[in-house]
Parts: sequence; C-alpha cells; structure tokens
Amino acid sequence: MSNIQMDDSKILWQRWERIAEHNPDKEAIVHWVAGEEPIRWTYKNLIETAKIFSVRVKEAGIKRGEVCAIVMRHNPLFYPLYLGISRTGALPAVLAYPNPRLHPDKFRQGIEGMAQRSGLDYILTERELDPIIRPLIEKKESTIKSVFFPFEWDYKNKVDQKLDNEVERIALLIKETDPVLLQHSSGTTGLQKPVVLSHRAILNHAENLGNALKLSGNDKIVSWLPLYHDFGLIACFQIPLTYGITSIQINPFEWVLAPILLLEAITKEKGTLICLPNFAYNVLAEKIHDDELSEISLESIRAVVNGAEPIRHDSHKKFVEKFKNYGFNPLALSCLYGMAEITLCLTVHEPGKPITELAVDRNKLSNGVMKLADKDSVVRICVSSGKLIGGCEARIVDENRKDIPDGMVGEVAVKSVSMFDGYRNYPEKTAEVVENNWYFSGDFGFRYKDEFFIIGRKKDLIIVAGKNIYPEDIEDIVNQVKGVDAGRVVAFGEEDEKMGTEQIAVIAETKVESEKEKNDLRLAILKAGMSIDVNIHKVYLVPSRWLIKSSAGKPSRKANKERILSGEDKQVWSR
Amino acid sequence: MISTELKKVILNELNLDDFDLQDETVAPDVPGWDSLNHVNIILAVENKFAVKFKSYEVLRLKNVGDLQKLLDSKLGK
Repeated sequence: MSNIQMDDSKILWQRWERIAEHNPDKEAIVHWVAGEEPIRWTYKNLIETAKIFSVRVKEAGIKRGEVCAIVMRHNPLFYPLYLGISRTGALPAVLAYPNPRLHPDKFRQGIEGMAQRSGLDYILTERELDPIIRPLIEKKESTIKSVFFPFEWDYKNKVDQKLDNEVERIALLIKETDPVLLQHSSGTTGLQKPVVLSHRAILNHAENLGNALKLSGNDKIVSWLPLYHDFGLIACFQIPLTYGITSIQINPFEWVLAPILLLEAITKEKGTLICLPNFAYNVLAEKIHDDELSEISLESIRAVVNGAEPIRHDSHKKFVEKFKNYGFNPLALSCLYGMAEITLCLTVHEPGKPITELAVDRNKLSNGVMKLADKDSVVRICVSSGKLIGGCEARIVDENRKDIPDGMVGEVAVKSVSMFDGYRNYPEKTAEVVENNWYFSGDFGFRYKDEFFIIGRKKDLIIVAGKNIYPEDIEDIVNQVKGVDAGRVVAFGEEDEKMGTEQIAVIAETKVESEKEKNDLRLAILKAGMSIDVNIHKVYLVPSRWLIKSSAGKPSRKANKERILSGEDKQVWSR
Repeated sequence: MISTELKKVILNELNLDDFDLQDETVAPDVPGWDSLNHVNIILAVENKFAVKFKSYEVLRLKNVGDLQKLLDSKLGK
C-alpha cells in the first residue's frame, strides 16, 4: 500500500472544510449512546454546525489565541463546538468533567491551578456546573474571564452574515505555526503541564501516524477514550477527522459500566481500529459474560492499538484467548509509545504482524544491559512498542544525554516534526526537558533491531545499594500473588537512613481481612520478590480502591509514597 | 429496602465493615464504589445469588434500591 499524502492544507479548519467539500455525505462522527439510535454527523453537517458555533463564540467575545476550557459530558454538540472554536483561532482545551465523588472545592482548586498555569480564559460548560464554577469566576484575582453554556446557544438558525464573514477573515489569518489546541499532560489536578500544539504538528502527525497504521479511507475508529486524554483526543478524534475517516465515539462513563458497548459498536458499525490502554484488555477479557457475546463479531477489526500505559504480555494473551472465537485476528494486536509533547507517539507497531516480545535477563536489564535470557536467567518479557514513525528521530541516551549503543538501557529522547511548542507559561519546565530541539522523555528503554522497548520511568527508579531496580518489575511480580488486587500495586524506594540507602517498599491493595491472611499474604509477596532476586523490605496492605491515581488513571507512585509515609491512615496494615 | 444479604455482598466487595446502604444510596456516596469497582460489585452480586445481569440492565441502575429490585426480579421475588 502506498503512503497517503495529505493535501496542502495549512490549518485544520481548512483541511476539515476540504474534506467536507469532497466527501460531504461521509460520516465524520457517530455519537454512540447505549440503547439509543446513534447520532450521525456527516462532514457537511458537522462543518455547517461548526460554522454557526464559531459565530456564537465570536459573539461571546472570545478572541483568537484565547483558551477555552471545555468541561462537558458526552454530548453530540461537543464536536461542532470544538471545531467552531478552532475556526475562530481560539484554543480548545478539553478538561475532565468532575466525578460526583470529587468535592466541589477540590474541583475548583484544580481549575484554578490550571487557570493560573495554563492561562485559561473561558470555561465552556453545562448549566449544572454553574454553582460550582461561578465562585471561581467571581474571585477578584481570577484569571478566568467568563463562563458560557454553549448547549444553550442557538445552533440551528442562520447566523449574521457579517459576523460569519468576520470569522472567516480571522480564519484566513491563522498560520500553520499558530497554536491549535492545548492539552494537559499527566499530573496531579492543578499541576498538569499544559502542552500547546500547532496546526502543523497535528497535520504532520495525522500523515505520519496514518501511514504507520496504514490508515485508509475505509477505516473506522471506535473509541470510548475520554477526550481530555491525548490517546482519546489525538488518536481517536483529531487524527480521524484530519484524515477524513469516521470515528465512533462512545461515552466513557457508560463504557466503564458496560464494557460490551465497545464490542457492540464495533460489530454494528464494522469498526476497523480501536485504541485501548492496557487495563482495558483485562476488563474486556474478564468482565463480560460469554452469553452476552453471541451477536458480537470482531472480524472487521484490523488493529487494536495498546498505548498510554506499560504494555503487558499477559493482557494481550487474555484478550486473544477470549476473542479469537469471535472473529478476532491475533495479528491485529498493535501498540504505540509516545507522549503529549510530540502530539501523540514516536513508535508504532505495524498491524498485521506479530508483536516482538523478548525474553530478557531481568538482572542484566536492571544493570542497564538488555541480554536475551538463557537457562540461568530470571526472565522478564519485554513487549516491543514498535518502530519509529515518519518525521520522528529517537535516541537512547545516558544520564549526561550522550548516545549509548543499541541494547543498552537509557532515557528515550525524541525529535519530531510534531513537537509541541513548549509548556504554556512554563518556560523553566520546558527548558528542563527540551535541549537542542530534542525532547527528553524521562522514560527508560532500549532499542533492539530498530524496535523500541520501554521498561520504566527514570524518576521512579529505585536504587538499592547502588543497584538499579525498576518498580515495574516488582509490581509485575507482586501482581501475580494470589490475594493482591490485579494491577493495584505500587513499589517505591523508601529511605533507610540507618543504612544510607533506599529500601524497597510495596503497597498492595487486597481484599483479605484477618491478621493471619495478611501475614500469609506478606510472606507470599516477599517470596515473589525473592523469585526475581529482589529483597522487599516493607509491605503495606491497603483496601481496594485505596491507591491514588493520576489524571491519566495510573496509580501514582509518588502520591502513594507520600500518603503512606504520612502515617496517618488507619486502614493501612504494614510490616 | 436493602436485604442484609445484598448489603453484605456489597460491603464485602468494598472491604467496608459497615455502611448505611439505603434504597436511594448512590455509588458515589459509598467509599470505594467507583465506576471501575462497579463491575466487580455486580459480578460479586451475580456470583453470590447465582444470577446474571445483562449489561443494559446494569447501565440503567441509578441507586442501590434499583439493584435490589433487579436482583429480586431475577430471583422471582
């Protein structure tokens, strides 16, 4: 298949308009709601409604370059609103809708933190959130200018032609290097790093990622991923729109309650591509009754792309075992590796080929060397994240940011045509991670035969008596201990002042209750550590759902370490 | 009214010793009952009472009282 070339559109709005002109009746977005008839936006309807929203945005006084935080639930009007904001030259920034569990003060605090850091100018939300957000706007020192409720705007009737012309004039002034969106990389609420991406970055990425995944006009991406997450926003919303293909958008809150929705949407819409974080493979494989799958067919799927968290061999295996009887082709397993700072990804595994998995010597790997396992090795299975996509260069570097040979473990540094323009209002943080146009990811990995294997994060590395240990290794093995909630373990280094080094500590969620069971579980965890030549010094047992997650949904090592060391929680059992 | 048996299953799944579960109690009111754990609670109820719920039945549940009614209907009560 030959590479697909994008047209010469310089900005996203121009690209979307051209797609609508050439394929007006093609479906752009299918808005999926459980048990209801989907709402179908053709490219023509989407662009026409987006034009109306762009005029409403202009009427609201929002100007080019200003940031519009969008805080909304799954709603079919989200899409034309998002595009309409873009037409005016303002920057949409999608934020997570507050969970009912979240205290309003904490939500406000998060928005306030982001507003100060990212320079949010407006909040576009639902009327229901007005009582929560209003006090924030009315604060004297607030940087947020106003709050709007776009679902109450008139989006059906024709707009003032003069205003529309004015918006069109502005749209023509937008340059490819201008910012087009703002997204927040992982981090605690209020402390996220605001990533600004340009039109050029997105357009380049659509072409390069599209070619790596061998996208064609017949592809349909089915997604339940939230649009405040880069995997959802870029891979499942921006890329298909910019490529001119169809995406099916499922409500993330509904999916998590009824995971079968994804499979139903694939079956009914004949979806070809899905993107999933690793945990979703386990949910889909283990939380759906077989008798609900009688009408499910995954024959149309040609790629299931794993990303956004470490890729686990076992999860792939479970998924294939469960769904091979429903038409799923195991060669459709794919994966990618990347970060918001380069739009989305630098490596992709080409669908249709088996993913490379290496059995390596775990101890050598801890010492920074990838050595294939032999009979004496304690084995770790490393799953490839694929090869570089077009427009990207990558290096593996040492602590002095000097290149190291293939097969050695180091930090991944990347240069991309889709590089971000820096963290907004955060030059000191940008300077920390960007040097000579190279972005230093903080991720540890190695390159082997042109493929990249990501094995951990630099900042989470545990150093015990000079020996480097990756917390992922410990977490993997403790995860396999019976009695520990799968995927709910954190390992970290605990300072041992007496010994002058770090010691390994593990926090594990569990449902066991009695003192005897806890002691038995602790012993099993220690034995698991021993099996990979790691001495676990301290075990903390905590109840289910105790672990704090980052906004990206991953248990946060840093936050949990701080919480456990504060020693205030009586639910914690430790020994 | 929530039966003692259902309450026991839910609390056990959430690892809570006790919590006042009423008909109108919703998941976010209960410690540990988040959207991900919801699937586990439903599976625990199914296993305990040897019943099976359809995904769409689960999606329609608004509170614990709805779950009790659904369970009762499966048990023929």
